[in-house]
Amino acid sequence: MNEVTAFWILAAIAVIGALFAIRKRNLVHGVFSLLVFFAGLAGLFLLLLAEFIAVVQILVYAGAVGILILFAIMLTDRVTGKDAFRVTSRGSFWGTIIAASVFLVLLLPTIQEIPQVDNPSNSEEIVKQSTVKALGKKLIHPYVITLEILALLLTAALIGAVTAAQGGHPAKKKISIE
Amino acid sequence: MNWELIKDILLATVPLLVIFPTMFALTTWVERKALARIQNRIGPNKVGVPMSRYGGKLSLFGLGQPAADGIKMLFKENIVPTGADRLFHLLAPILSLIPAMLVLCFLPLNFPWLTDEQNSVKAFMLDGAVIFFFAITGLNTLAVFMAGWASRNKYSLLGGMRAIAQMVSYEIPLVLSAVVVVMTVGSLNAGEIAKSQDGWNWFVFSPWGLAAFIIFFIASLAETNRSPFDLPEAESEIIAGYFTEYSGFKFALFFLGEYIAMFAISGLAVTLFLGAGDGPGAEAYPSLKVIWFLAKICVLIGIMIWLRGTLPRLRVDQLMSFAWKFLMPLSILNIFITGFAWHAENNNEEYGFTIKAIIWTASLLILYLTAKGLDKVNRANIKPRTYQYGE
Amino acid sequence: MTVTLHHYLILASVLFCIGLLGALSRRNAIVVLFSVEIMLNAANLNFIAFWRFGNNPELLHGPLFTLFTIAVAAAEVALGLALVIAVYRHFRSVDLESLNTLKEE
Repeated sequence: MNEVTAFWILAAIAVIGALFAIRKRNLVHGVFSLLVFFAGLAGLFLLLLAEFIAVVQILVYAGAVGILILFAIMLTDRVTGKDAFRVTSRGSFWGTIIAASVFLVLLLPTIQEIPQVDNPSNSEEIVKQSTVKALGKKLIHPYVITLEILALLLTAALIGAVTAAQGGHPAKKKISIE
Repeated sequence: MNWELIKDILLATVPLLVIFPTMFALTTWVERKALARIQNRIGPNKVGVPMSRYGGKLSLFGLGQPAADGIKMLFKENIVPTGADRLFHLLAPILSLIPAMLVLCFLPLNFPWLTDEQNSVKAFMLDGAVIFFFAITGLNTLAVFMAGWASRNKYSLLGGMRAIAQMVSYEIPLVLSAVVVVMTVGSLNAGEIAKSQDGWNWFVFSPWGLAAFIIFFIASLAETNRSPFDLPEAESEIIAGYFTEYSGFKFALFFLGEYIAMFAISGLAVTLFLGAGDGPGAEAYPSLKVIWFLAKICVLIGIMIWLRGTLPRLRVDQLMSFAWKFLMPLSILNIFITGFAWHAENNNEEYGFTIKAIIWTASLLILYLTAKGLDKVNRANIKPRTYQYGE
Repeated sequence: MTVTLHHYLILASVLFCIGLLGALSRRNAIVVLFSVEIMLNAANLNFIAFWRFGNNPELLHGPLFTLFTIAVAAAEVALGLALVIAVYRHFRSVDLESLNTLKEE
């Protein structure tokens, strides 16, 4: 019973956070709603007994991605946080229709065929045994190549981001006071 | 309802809510006293217990000062600027206090009234306690930014941006130096890390542990915005930084949050490097462990106060280059050294005193020389300050 | 009543569609970027749910895949925001509808 209540509360937090994130006119409010969404999702991961993933979710998304987006907003948009005048794009009507139809397509399989509902208790013990240590061992033994490629990707992204954001020749620009 | 669980939770958390705010009150007094002595002043010495009915009063070296400050904070007017974002202005101090309080639960404090099983609340005995600690302290950055942005004041915003840049940069050496301990123990569980250091087997007593501890301590100073890294609230440059527009109770919450975060991160340093509750007599009387743990936290706080009285504030460019060009390479090198030493110790049958001595001397030398070299290279690159908008 | 796999699947599809809606209907590049993040997170939720309720949880495929996705998403956000900043420097705007220099007039 407790689990069901927790699920509904967390699901509500996630959905409302996501909706606010894409609907808010003020970008900074949007980012903080997005962080609420990430936190709700981390709670759902905890409910699914994947505690390490929940930690990584908070560490990477709430800690790093949120701050990165805030930085980008500060560097590009109006710092004072004035609300944008027009926020929806020209094709927003068609966008809504496409999103709704994709939702129906995703929903159909779950509604149509009702397979036997998996009993969560049959694998609960095994799920609980999968600790951080087991995850780490898996990362080192069969998936070490993936891990290395990922490290390479992150390094490349770091260098790429610096190069892209730096622009042409910053030394040549001159700031004049008027 | 599961009353047993609720009892356990209360037994483990209520002491935290009593001990740490009390320590906060005492620390503010100690800090003011110590800073005053360093600057050749006397500091608060008047407030005590008023006993005028019996003639005179009990001043107690001004120990009543925290209470007086608290009452003053509570009764001050709460001002919100006209242009401010009211909701965020209210939420920011709360958001800065909650993560700081929450991470206290992860510290292996070993209260004597809890059995070994319940060591801390079960829900907090996570496998990934250490990484959870870092994840949640990272949320503090958001609170600081929220405060700076919601105040709609240029100085506040500058303070918030400085805080973000600084905290994000210093989180890297902080986590990398904790990795050293996690690698050696092979667990992210705070209780196991504490247990592995029993019997004077502290991590600070090894070359790599010492280096990691120093890096961790410096980075934790920056994470909690302590001097000499208190640029986000540098009063001579940007008034009071992100809490310029805060007064009354909200300011008190910020203040409390900052100090609790200091205790929490010192507690993590004690857990990781200084043997947690280990100390003389801790094995014979396990209830002494709490005392030792808190005493070690107090020593670290004392060092922080001492540094605040001694060192001048850094410049922004110095701050950044110190994190990225000095602390980060050093902590990465430290991880390699730890890996090598661990491998030599555990996968080598001839491991004895001689090999140990050689490895220890070599790693000490390598770390020292690298630090020296990095320092020299960095010093050559630091140029005098250039002014863009003034002479 | 217990929480089953279906609850999580439906929740994930709702979240995915919210993300899609944001990506298709907003004109600010940064909002589009975080809509993409919402979609990725919905997919992660599916991975974890299938791991929890599916067969062979000891193989840890769900958490591992999610870990990799999170890392890739972090790289993607960093690069995406750098591009947004570069675009802003060039056009003085992050409005996606004003970036139409490739369009034939």
